[in-house]
Amino acid sequence: MTSTETRMAGRLGDSPLRPDGTLKVTGEFAYSSDLWHDDMVWGVTLRSPHPSARIRAIDLTDALRVPGVSAILTAKDVPGENAVGLEHLDTPALADGVVRYQGEPVALVAADHPETARRAAARIVVDYEVLPAVTDPRTALDPDTPWVHADHDNLVRDLRIRRGDPSPTAPVVVSLDFEVGMQDQAFLGPESGLAVPDGEGGVDLYVATQWLHVDQGQVCRVLGLPPEQVRLTLAGVGGAFGGREDLSMHVHACLLALHTGKPVKMSYARDESFFGHVHRHPAWLRYEFGARETGELVYAKADILFDGGAYASSTPAVVGNGGTLGLGPYRIPNVHVDARGVYTNNPTCGAMRGFGCVQAAFAHEALMDELADRIGMDRVEIRALNGMVEGDLTITGQVVDSAAPVAELIRTVRDLPLPAEPAGERDIRELPGGASNTTHGEGVRRGIGYAVTYKNVGFSEGFDDYSTARVRLEVVGGEPVATVHTAAAEVGQGLITIEQQICRTELGVEQVVVHPKDTTVGSGGSTSASRQTYVTGGAVKAACEAVRASVLRRASEALGRAELRLDGEKIVAAGGEVVASLAEVLTDPVEETVEWRHRPTYPIDPETGQGNAHVQYAFSAHRAVVDVDVELGLVKVVALDTAQDVGRALNPDAVVGQIQGGSAQGMGLALMEEIVVQDGIVKNPSFTDYLIPTILDMPPMQVKVLEYADPHAPYGVRGVGEPPTISSGPAVAAAIRAATGKPLRRVPVRPEHITF
Amino acid sequence: MRPFAYDRPDTAAAAVAAVADRPDAAFLGGGTNLVDHLRLGIADPGLLVDVTSLTSTEIVDIDGGLRIGAGVTNADLAADPRVRARLPVLAAALLSGASGQLRNMATTGGNPLQRTRCPYFQDPASACNKRVPGSGCAAIGGATRNHAILGASEHCIATHPSDMAVALAALDTQVRILGPDGGRTLAFTDLHRLPGDTPEQDTELAHGELITAIDVSYPRGRHAYRKVRDRASYAFALVSVAAVLDVVDGTVLDARIALGGVAHTPWRAVRAEDTLRGGPATEEAFAAAAEAELADARPQPGFDGGNAFKIPLARRTLTATLRQTTPRETA
Ligand SMILES: Cc1cc2nc3c(=O)[nH]c(=O)nc-3n(C[C@H](O)[C@H](O)[C@H](O)COP(=O)(O)OP(=O)(O)OC[C@H]3O[C@@H](n4cnc5c(N)ncnc54)[C@H](O)[C@@H]3O)c2cc1C
Ligand code: SF4
Repeated sequence: MTSTETRMAGRLGDSPLRPDGTLKVTGEFAYSSDLWHDDMVWGVTLRSPHPSARIRAIDLTDALRVPGVSAILTAKDVPGENAVGLEHLDTPALADGVVRYQGEPVALVAADHPETARRAAARIVVDYEVLPAVTDPRTALDPDTPWVHADHDNLVRDLRIRRGDPSPTAPVVVSLDFEVGMQDQAFLGPESGLAVPDGEGGVDLYVATQWLHVDQGQVCRVLGLPPEQVRLTLAGVGGAFGGREDLSMHVHACLLALHTGKPVKMSYARDESFFGHVHRHPAWLRYEFGARETGELVYAKADILFDGGAYASSTPAVVGNGGTLGLGPYRIPNVHVDARGVYTNNPTCGAMRGFGCVQAAFAHEALMDELADRIGMDRVEIRALNGMVEGDLTITGQVVDSAAPVAELIRTVRDLPLPAEPAGERDIRELPGGASNTTHGEGVRRGIGYAVTYKNVGFSEGFDDYSTARVRLEVVGGEPVATVHTAAAEVGQGLITIEQQICRTELGVEQVVVHPKDTTVGSGGSTSASRQTYVTGGAVKAACEAVRASVLRRASEALGRAELRLDGEKIVAAGGEVVASLAEVLTDPVEETVEWRHRPTYPIDPETGQGNAHVQYAFSAHRAVVDVDVELGLVKVVALDTAQDVGRALNPDAVVGQIQGGSAQGMGLALMEEIVVQDGIVKNPSFTDYLIPTILDMPPMQVKVLEYADPHAPYGVRGVGEPPTISSGPAVAAAIRAATGKPLRRVPVRPEHITF
Repeated sequence: MRPFAYDRPDTAAAAVAAVADRPDAAFLGGGTNLVDHLRLGIADPGLLVDVTSLTSTEIVDIDGGLRIGAGVTNADLAADPRVRARLPVLAAALLSGASGQLRNMATTGGNPLQRTRCPYFQDPASACNKRVPGSGCAAIGGATRNHAILGASEHCIATHPSDMAVALAALDTQVRILGPDGGRTLAFTDLHRLPGDTPEQDTELAHGELITAIDVSYPRGRHAYRKVRDRASYAFALVSVAAVLDVVDGTVLDARIALGGVAHTPWRAVRAEDTLRGGPATEEAFAAAAEAELADARPQPGFDGGNAFKIPLARRTLTATLRQTTPRETA
C-alpha cells in the first residue's frame, strides 16, 4: 500500500454532508411552522382589505364573545413605541388610525384553536373611511399626489451619481426604457414562530428569520422591554431570500403572549404570506449609452424608479445598490445616474436576493446588446472590451482592488459546449410547452443570450457591518470537541456546515457542535447581501485563532516549552516532535468570543455619488439558450450555463447549489414570476396563480467556478448567493429577443409579448 | 370559514334528498375546489354531503364506449387502458391538468363542476355577479388575460378552467343525473351555460341534482389535446384545444373540436366542425375553420394588457391541433 495522507474529512474545500440535509429531504426537519407547546394558544392577524383608509373605529364586542378567544389586541394595546422598520421606523406594529397597504395588520386575536381565532377576527368590525390610494409610482412625486405618510413627502431616497463630463457626447448613442414586474421571494416555509412568556414580564421568541438581533431591537422597542427580557432563538427556516429581513409575526406573537400569559403560536396561511413580507421592487428604468465606433463606452445615463410601497423597509439601500451598481460591471468614464425610491399604497417592497441590481441588470444588459448590434460588434466581445478589470474605478470612483474577471467570465460561458441542435423526433418535454404537447418542433426558433453582472457583498455605505462568534474547545469523553456559537441565521444556504468546516480546519478537531442560533451571543448580522460566509466566517475564523492561541499559551505554560503549534489533535514542537495531545492540555474548556468586521465602507457624496461605498464585488456571467415557439409565445430554456468567481470555494457543493438556485430564481422573474397589483390590490396571492419555475422549466446547468482569492477577505472568499440571480434573468431575456427579434422591454416576458 | 355539518349517507338517493332539503347544502367530491372556496370565504355551505364513496368509482364498458362513475378520480381515469387507447384526447386533457396529487383527489363529478379561476370571483372583497348576483363585474377592465373571448356577457366574462371538460365537450358525452324527482340524462355540451344575465348559474343542474356517471362514446379518428399555459406544468390553460378528426383519403368525415380557456363553457367549436366536415383536410381548410370559429371573438381590454392575444393564440392552437390530428401523408 502506498502512503495515503490521512486527513480529516469536512474541512474547508470539502463538501461534507449538511447536518440538516437528510432531515429536509426526508421531511423530518422541524420548521418554524412545526413549533409546538402543549399549553399554547394560536394567534391570527386581522388585516386591512384596503390599500388606503382611515380607521374611524374598531368594535371588538362580537369577536370577544366567541368562546375560546383569550385576547384581542389593537394599536392601543402596544405598550412601547408602535414603530418598527429596518432603516426608518415608519411602520406601525399595528395600524394606528390609518392603513397604507392592503394586508396591513390591524388587530390580533389569540384563541385556543386557529380556526376559532380566525372566526373571531372575522367578527371584528373595523369602520374604514376609504381614502384615495397612491398606486402609480411614476406620479408619486407629482405635487398634486397625496402623501402616503402625513409627515413626509413620497420620496424615500433620491440618489445621484455624477462623474466626468456633465454633457458628454459620443458617435454612437443607444437608449431604452425597461420595466420590471414585482417578484416575490416565494419561500415555502410560511412566516411562523412561537412566543413563550417567561412569567417575569419577559418573553422568548422562536422564529424563522434572517437577523435575530435586528428583530430583537425592534421587538424590544414595541414591547417597551430591555433586550435581556426579549430573547430570540432561530427556528427552522424554510427559505428567506430577503423576505424575512423585516418583521412579520414577531412582535404580534410576543404581544399576545405577554397579554395572555400563554405561549402563542402564529403561522401564516399561504395567501396571508403574500401580505406578510415585502417583495422585490418593481422598477422603471430609462438608460442611455454613448460609445465609440469601436465599442468603448464613453458615457452612460440612467434614470431608475423603484416602487417602495407603503413603508420604507430597505428601499434606501435598494436605491443605493440600484444607483451605485446600476450600470453593470463596466468601465465608464462619464456617468449620470438618478435613482429614486418612492412611497405608494402598493405592497411594501424591500430586500430580495440581488437587491436593486436585478432590476438594473435587465436594462444595462439589454442596452449592451443593442449597442453591440448597432456597431456590428459581437455581443460577448463588447462586454469583454468594456468589462472591469482589477484596478479599474467603479462609477462611484472606488478602486476595484481584487479580481474583476469580466472578460474571462463572459468568454468562459461562450466557450462552454452548446446543447445539441434540435434534430429528428424530440422528446416533447424538451420543447416549449413541454408535456402540454403544444409543438413537436414546428414554429420553434432557438436563441442565445448573454449577460454579465456584479453585486456588492456585505453591507455598504458606511454601515457598521460585523459578526460575532464564540468558539469553545473542550474534552468530552476523552475527545476534543469544539462548539461554535453565532447568531447568524441558517436559512438553508449551508452556513452551519461552513462554520463546522472552519472550526475543523482551524482547530484540527473533528467533532464540531453548532450551538443553536440565538441572542445569547452577539449579533451575526443579516443573512443577506451574500455576506455570511465572509463576515460570520471571518468571525468564526478569528474566534478559532483566539482559541488556538489560548490553548497553545496554556500548553507552553504547562509543558514549559515555547513555539508550539497545533497539528490535528496533537501539540507539536518546532522540531515536529509531538509533545502532548490536545486532550491532555484541555483540562478546562477554552472559550473565546470575537466581534469581527470587514474593512469599513463609506457613505457616498450626496451630490456626486462618489465614494468607497462597497467592500467587495462579486461577478458572474450567464449564457442562456432558449427554444421559443413563436406561434404560441411559449419558451423553453434549453440551457442556462454560468461562470462565477467565488474567490475560494470553501464548500464546492454548496457553491454550486447557490448558483443553481439563484439562476432558477432569476429565470423565474424573466419568464413568469409577478405579483399582479391592481389599484393597490394583489390579484394573485397563491402558488396557483403566482407561478414559479418547476423542475420541468429548469434546464440542466453547466457551472464553471473561478477561484480568484480576494486578498482582503477571510480565506479569499467572495459572496456567492446573489450574483447568479442577477445575471440569469437578463441572459434568458436576451435569448428570447435573439430567437424572436422582439424588443421585449418588460419582464416577466409572457406569451402575449412574444406572439404580438 | 363558518362551521358546517358533514354527512356521508349510504345511498346516492339519500345524498340527493339531503342536499335538496337544504338550500345551503352542497355535494363534496374530492374537495380540491370546494374546500379552497370554503377557505377563501367565497362558499359557506352549512352542510357538506360527501358523495365520493356513493357514486361509482368504476369505469364500465357500455355499448360503443365507457360509463365513468362520478367517483372515479382524475388519476384513475387517465390511467385506464381503455381511456388511453380509445379516448386519448381525454387522457391527455386529464394529465395536463393540475398536479399528480390533485388528480388523485379530484373526481369525475367534481372536475366539470369546478368554478372559474377569475381572480375577482375568488376575492370576496371584489364585485362579482357570479358570487353575488347584481354586485357588478370587477373583472371588466381589470386583469383579463384569463378571461373569455367568446360568449361573454356584460355581466360576466369568466372562463371555465377545466381541461377534462374540454375533452368531454368534444366527445359524444352524456351526463347521468339523479335528482329529487328521479334520474335524467343530459348531453355534456348542454351542461354548462353561457353567463348571460345570470352568471351565478354555471350549469343547468338544479340544486340537489347529483352527477352519478358520465357516458362517453368512442369516436372514430385521431385525437389530440393541446394546452397553452404560462408554465410547463401545473398551470391553467390560456387556451386549449381538444380535437378528434376522422380523415379518410384526405377528406374530413367527422370533426369533434372544443376550446378551453376562451369561454364560460368548455366551448364546442361547432362552426369549425361544420366548416371542416365533408371537405379536404388541408391547411387552408384548417385556417378557414379557425377563422369561422373565432369570427365572433371579442377581446377584453384590461389593465394587464387585456386578452386580445388570445384570439390569434386560439386560432393558431386550433390549426396546429387540427394538423396534428391529420394523418401526415394527407396533410
Ligand atoms: C392548484 C390547482 C391547480 C389546478 N390546475 C388545474 C388544471 O390545470 N386543469 C384543470 O382542469 N383543473 C385544475 N385544477 C382544478 C381541479 O381539477 C379541480 O379542483 C377538481 O377537478 C375538482 O374535483 P373535486 O372532485 O375535487 O371537486 P369538489 O371540489 O369536491 O367539487 C367541485 C364542485 O362540484 C360539486 N360536485 C362534486 N361532485 C359532484 C357530483 N357528483 N354531482 C354534483 N355535484 C358535484 C361540488 O358541490 C362543488 O360545487 C386545479 C386545482 C388546484 C387546486
Ligand atoms: S368575470 Fe364573472 S366571475 Fe369574474 S368578476 Fe365578473 S362576474 Fe365575477
